[in-house]
Formats: sequence, C-alpha cells, structure tokens
Amino acid sequence: MPNSDVVNPVTMKDLKSSDPRWCTGCGDYTILVGLRKFMVQNQIFRENTVNISGIGCSGRIPHYMNTYGIHSIHGRAIPIALGIALAKPELKLFIHSGDGDSLSIGGNHLLHGIKKNFNCVYLLFDNQIYGLTKSQTSPTTRQGLPTPSHPSGAMIEPINPISFALGAGASFVATTAEWMGNHFVETLDAAFKHPGFSFVHIAQRCPKFNPSAWNFQDSSWLTFLVDEQAGIAADSKSAPDAKVQSYSPHSYENAMAISKDVPNVFGLVYKAEKPMYDKLVLDATKNQKQKDLDDLLNDYII
Amino acid sequence: MQKKSNFRFELLMDAGNGAQKAGDILIKAFAKKGVYVFIEPIIPAEISPPKRTPFSLSGAVIRLSDSDITNIGSFSDLVLVEHEILLERRLQDQEFTEGCTILLDLGSKKRAQDAYEAVEKKAADAGYNVVSFMISEEAEALIKSLNGNGKNMYYLGILACLFNVDKDFLISFIKQTFKKLPKDKLDSNIQIFEFGFNAQVMDEADSLLFEGITHKNEKVLLDGNTALALGVIDAGIRLYAGYPITPASSIMHSLARLLPAYGGVLHQAEDEISAIGTVIGSYFAGVPAITATSGPGLSLKQEFIGLSVASEIPCIVVDVQRGGPSTGLPTRTEQTDLFAAAYGSHGDGPKVVISVANVDDCFYVPHVARYIAEVCRLPVIILSDYMISVSYRVVDKLKQSKLDDVRKIDDFVLDHFYMNRLSDSIEMVKENQNSPGIPDQMRRVTGLNTGSSGAIEYSADSNHRAHEVRSKKIHAVRHALKMPERFGSDSGDLLLVGWGSSRGAIEEAVQSLVNDGVDVGGLHFKMVYPLPLNLTDIFQSYKHVVTVEMAYGDSLKATPFSMMLRSETLCDVQGLICEAKGRPIKPIYLIEKAQAFLKEVQHA
Repeated sequence: MPNSDVVNPVTMKDLKSSDPRWCTGCGDYTILVGLRKFMVQNQIFRENTVNISGIGCSGRIPHYMNTYGIHSIHGRAIPIALGIALAKPELKLFIHSGDGDSLSIGGNHLLHGIKKNFNCVYLLFDNQIYGLTKSQTSPTTRQGLPTPSHPSGAMIEPINPISFALGAGASFVATTAEWMGNHFVETLDAAFKHPGFSFVHIAQRCPKFNPSAWNFQDSSWLTFLVDEQAGIAADSKSAPDAKVQSYSPHSYENAMAISKDVPNVFGLVYKAEKPMYDKLVLDATKNQKQKDLDDLLNDYII
Repeated sequence: MQKKSNFRFELLMDAGNGAQKAGDILIKAFAKKGVYVFIEPIIPAEISPPKRTPFSLSGAVIRLSDSDITNIGSFSDLVLVEHEILLERRLQDQEFTEGCTILLDLGSKKRAQDAYEAVEKKAADAGYNVVSFMISEEAEALIKSLNGNGKNMYYLGILACLFNVDKDFLISFIKQTFKKLPKDKLDSNIQIFEFGFNAQVMDEADSLLFEGITHKNEKVLLDGNTALALGVIDAGIRLYAGYPITPASSIMHSLARLLPAYGGVLHQAEDEISAIGTVIGSYFAGVPAITATSGPGLSLKQEFIGLSVASEIPCIVVDVQRGGPSTGLPTRTEQTDLFAAAYGSHGDGPKVVISVANVDDCFYVPHVARYIAEVCRLPVIILSDYMISVSYRVVDKLKQSKLDDVRKIDDFVLDHFYMNRLSDSIEMVKENQNSPGIPDQMRRVTGLNTGSSGAIEYSADSNHRAHEVRSKKIHAVRHALKMPERFGSDSGDLLLVGWGSSRGAIEEAVQSLVNDGVDVGGLHFKMVYPLPLNLTDIFQSYKHVVTVEMAYGDSLKATPFSMMLRSETLCDVQGLICEAKGRPIKPIYLIEKAQAFLKEVQHA
C-alpha cells in the first residue's frame, strides 16, 4: 500500500543494499529475492519498513535490504519489534529468525510474541541445523542426524514449529518453502495482509551443513493445502508432482490435526481474527483522559 | 510534655498486620503539621511469613525533625512492638538508643510467659525502659469482629496520643487512607484508633511534642520509586517496559497508573531481557523509553546493553539495588551492583552510570539520563537502591522541567547532577542515526562492527576506531563533569567518599565531626561512571581518603567503589565502612569509625 504522495515506484533495484555473503546454494538468497519481489508487488515503501533479525545466517537479511533494519542479538528480535510497533505503529515490521533463534534461545519471546499477536510478519527460516556456528543440533534437527554436538545422532524428536505456534494461540500460521517462489511470495502476501502476528514457517535449504533436510528436487513428497477463499494457491510450477488437498484454514481442530503432517504439508494452516496487544496498549492510552503535565505532582502535595 | 526537635521511633508488627499503613498515616499527619519526616519500611522477603516468628518482622522506622533530614538516623528513641518474638529479633540489630522506651503489647504473654519474661529482662539489662500494655477489651472485641484486623489502628492511637497529635486531625487521614473501605468497617477502625488514643499507655508528662513549622513553600511527600516514576513522565519518556522484581516493581505500578494519562505506554514484558529489548526497539523508532529492574535483572539485560553500545541505540536502565548475589536480600539495601553497571556486559562496552541519593535525585535522574543517552547514543544505567526506593521524605514541591528536546535540557537539572552541557560535536561510529519513517535515510544497525557508513567492516583499523569513538563519548561526559558535592573541610586529615544513598549519612557525620574539631571533609558522587577529572588533586589535599559503602570489604578485598577510585586516581583509598548488613549506614557509626581510624593512623 503506497504511503507517500510522491509516486516513485519501488523497484527490485531500490531494495538492494550490500551484497549478501551466504554460502553458494543457500536458501536465504531465494528468501531475500522473494521478500523484495513481495515488496515491489505491494509497493511497500522502504522508509516505512523495518527488517528485524536475531543472530544466525537468517540474521543477515536486514543488511541486504535497503530498508530500515536491526540485526540484533540471538533470539531476541521479537522484543525489539514490539518496541518499534508500540513506538511507531504505522511501520511495517518483518522479523527474520532461524530455527535455533526462534525455538531455542528465543523460545520465550516467540511464545509471547505469538500470544500478544502484535502486528508483524514473522519468518521462521527452518534449515533444521545451526548454520553460522557450524552444524550443531538445532531444535528442529531430525532425530538421529549426526552433528558435531551429537556425533551419535540428534537424541530427541524435533520440535514441530506449527504445533508450537498453534498451541501458543497464533492468529495466522502458514508454511511454505523458499524454493517454491510463487508460493513463498503469495504466503508473504497473505501474512502481510493479516492483522496481527503472522507466523510463516519456511523450509530453507542449507547445502553446506544439512543438505538432506529438504528434498527440493523432488516434489512428490509434499502436499499443498488449498482453500479457494482464504488459502494460498498450489505452486505447480515449482512443485509439479505435489499433491493438492482441499483444506479450510478456519478450524483450529483441523489445524492441530494437520500440523502432525508438518513438514510435508504447505499452505495456510490457520487464520483467525484475534485481539492485538499493540492495539490494546495504544488504545488504552488513546482512550485515557489526558492530564496536564502541570498537574503531575498535585496528588502528592501535603 | 517534652518538646522534641529530633526523634526516631519504630512500630513493629507481624507482616500483614498493617504496621506500614499506620506509619504512613502518622507521617502524613506530621508532614502536614510541618514536621520533616523520613520513613524506612521494614519488609520481610516473604509475602505472608508465619506470624509470631522472627521472619514475620515488619514495620516502619520513622525519623522526625524540625529541620530537613537526609537519612534515617542511627538509633530509635521509642519502639512500639506487637509481641516478644519481634522484639527479640529487632534487639539483635542494636538500633535502640540508650534508655530507649519500648512499648510492649502483652497480648500474647499468656501463651508465652517465659519468652516474654526473658526478653523483658534482656531489654531491661540493656538499659531500655520497657513499658507494657494490653489492648483494651472493647478494642479486642472490635478487632475480633474485623477478623483480627485493626490492631494497627490501636497502636496508631497510642502513638498519636503520645505525640500529642490532634485526634480529629489524624482521623481525617485515616478516612483518606481507607476511603474504599465500607462505612461500618471504617467506623470500627476509627473506634479502635480512639480506644488506643485514650488508652493512656504513657503518662502525659512523658508525652512528646513536635511543634513543626509553617512551610513557606509547597511541599510534597514522596518515596524514591514514586519520584522516579514521576520524573520519567516529566522527562518526556513515553514507553516503560518492565518485568516484576523487588524492589523495582513499584516504579512499574506507578507508571501503569500514570503513564497512559500523559500520553505514554506501559508494557509488562515476558522477561527482563525482553523488557530492555522493547526499550531499544522504541528508541530505534525515535521514542524515548526506559526499563527498571534490580540486580538479577541487570545481569539478564547485559547482552542487550552491549547491543545498545555497539548499535548506538540509546537505552535507559534503572537498577534498584538490593542485597545480593542472586535473590540475596530482596528487601534489604546494598550498593554492590556498581561493577555490574559500570563494567558489565561484554567486549568493552563503555556506558554511563548515574546514582541517586534522595527523592529529588530520583525525580531529575530520568532527565539527565535521557540527555546523556540521546546525545551520546549509548546506554545509561541509573543506580538506586532499596533504601531510597521505599523511604518517604517531605521535600519542596519539585520544579518541573518538562523535557522535550534533550538539547534544550534545563541548566538546573544538569547542575543538580554536577554536570555541564555536553559538547555539540561528539562523534558517532555511524554517521547516519536516523529513525524509521524518514525517506532516503534507510539504515541498518547491527551488533557487528561497522565503519562510519554503517556497513559491516572487519578491518583492524575500523574496529579500533569504533572502540575509540565509543570510549571518547565517555570522555566527553567526563569532561562535562564538575566537582561533585563536598562537605566539611576542603583539605585535612580525612576525606569520606561515597556515592548514591550514603550521601545523607556522610553529610551528617562530617558536620558532626567538624563541629567536634576534627579536620575532615566529605565528597559525594552522583555520577559514578565516568568520574570527573582532577580527583587525584582533591584526594591529595587530605592525609587519608576512605570510602563509605554498603558493600563487603576487608584487608584482602577492596570494596567496589574504593577499587574504582584507586584505579582512577592511583591514591591509597581504603574502605572505612564496608558492611553488607542490609541496613542503611548510621551517621553515628560513621563518626565512630572515622574517629577510630584517625586515632589508629595517628598512633601508627
């Protein structure tokens, strides 16, 4: 949505900042391009956009987007984003976070961010491994995968990010894959248009440390969840052999049930209108009868 | 009737029985009469510890004077105590003056005859005058009808009568305090108060009179945390994010009530780390924000404090210190977070630390913290402590500053912190410091090292430059500092140095020592990091320099502030008072220690 009278359309070039430094074949490149495409399609102005990240490979995204941005500390992009949302609610916020950043060190913030349902798009880059610290077991690492921290194989079952988000009370939960370009951009589009905390799980390739996590060359293993009114269309171009399942994202019970099939299903899992904490807090101030600063100490006079 | 100009007394009851409430009512009446008051609540660390145990000790220590008072004083002249266990417990603290009158309620004596007799004997042997009394039967019946509540009103009555406070005058304060109580319960409370008032526990000849003075200026009654909360609003801070922690929580409670009415927002975060993250987010978006915590919370916030330094996003953190480490003594006072504040976080992150000594400081510290944080774009940590946070004082109605643009901060606010205006040409690591929303100024901030363009740079020179620029911000603050507040002689045998809440005790002790002909000076710091230049010259004007700190120290372990002063001045600064007893520093104790110290060094 344009938010300035000056009609200088946002282009892909406008959104470029410094050159990315990820490994060759890293899924973060396609996420970066997809994010730019989405901003151009929606003509979202750069100065009104803040990309916020924690630490990790995903954390570098803000540097490569010519918008405002904060590359912060491990797992804690959400508190910063909330501060921005409360200070300047007109800004468009995109939070970028990896599986370790989101579900290990930042788990508490994710739980409360989802619950607070403040307005932002949350992108969880899931490559099922710690990348920037070199290949340790992450909270979504497949059980049994040998890693430097668990040479005999990851010991416990991974956390299911979708069940987690649903359990925390998310108002918008979608899952997509970065190598499915159209599906990814369309998912961002739906997430952006949803008022509240839009949780987007992204299957992301890490050819360096966890190439077996996602089989992006074959699409027969995945299923698109499709709903004609509310859902995200199947991406037959990127995933020609994928199955397509008719699915309504409005039922919490269906969502919880289908979340068991993650990571093999893609699409809009759940969507509901829920109260937004940022709006509630700001409205509380707006609706409060304002006092004159001159009277600040009057109640304490003896 | 005995006229008094300076008096300290205390009301001790089981936790939950309303001792502080009674104390608050009484000091409001005194304050209204023009008497200066200073009140220190005694609060257990537990919410409802079992009654009739030493853990249940709760109460209010109240100091009254005809002239302004800066501290709680040394000893109590009178004590009113609910039962023998609390008396036994409080006797251990050795804070009763010789000949102190102890009013002891005998209500529990029937079931604890021996214990009562033992403690009565102990008190008498120590030279205290024990006066026992029983709550009247009519009052007991009313207390029973209120499910055991209201005993504090009886005690309040005894004290009001003892201090010759007008009965109806005091009742008006009871009504004000309990305005939400149903009428029948309020009436019962007032009746209990009147029974106490008429109980004649003491002879009229022994009663006390404070005449008070008619204040020329309008006065306010404030505790430190309330003053700080009001200061946050006056300083133009528009977002508070916090997590519950004793003794900082009451700042959040006040702001939850007040901030929205002055255009701000209050956010209770999911944890301490999140709270400071939200402050940093708000500041990045251009809205001044603050968080308050206590020791353990400061530890948790340290990583974000490092980000604030590196990213040059300002943030303000209040640390209301308590006894540590860990949960330590959450309702007792200590000054042991100095190093965590000044040198905490990781990887050499220079920051500014400002302390507060009283209610006035608490009100103005958010202004000066905002000024430094925003001009230098770095974290500012405010160190308060439990003692300051809960102690009420009567002060002149504070002149408001209504800070908006920090560059236009009032001179009187800077003067209050012994500080000049900062230079207009403080260099930043990154040239562009714009906030989101401004077109064509898009920028990314990061914890990684950057050059002046804001882009990531790992070169040797660039990293060294960033350290230099950040350190020079601190130097700029250092250059702006004036000599801090001084008391007594400006040269001589001994200099007593302290920071934060030790101010009142230092001022009073130095005054008393100087009156006795001792050649002693006092120096008190509000800005504790960085410290002003030329301290060495001042220190060298005295034969000995010692610190006064509520922190443990011994011959092999220097106290934090003495260690800091030694490293900054290369002078032989020793800790004179290095105690971690959780109690405020007594001026008399300081006087005795100073005298003993001088005696020892003169004989050596």
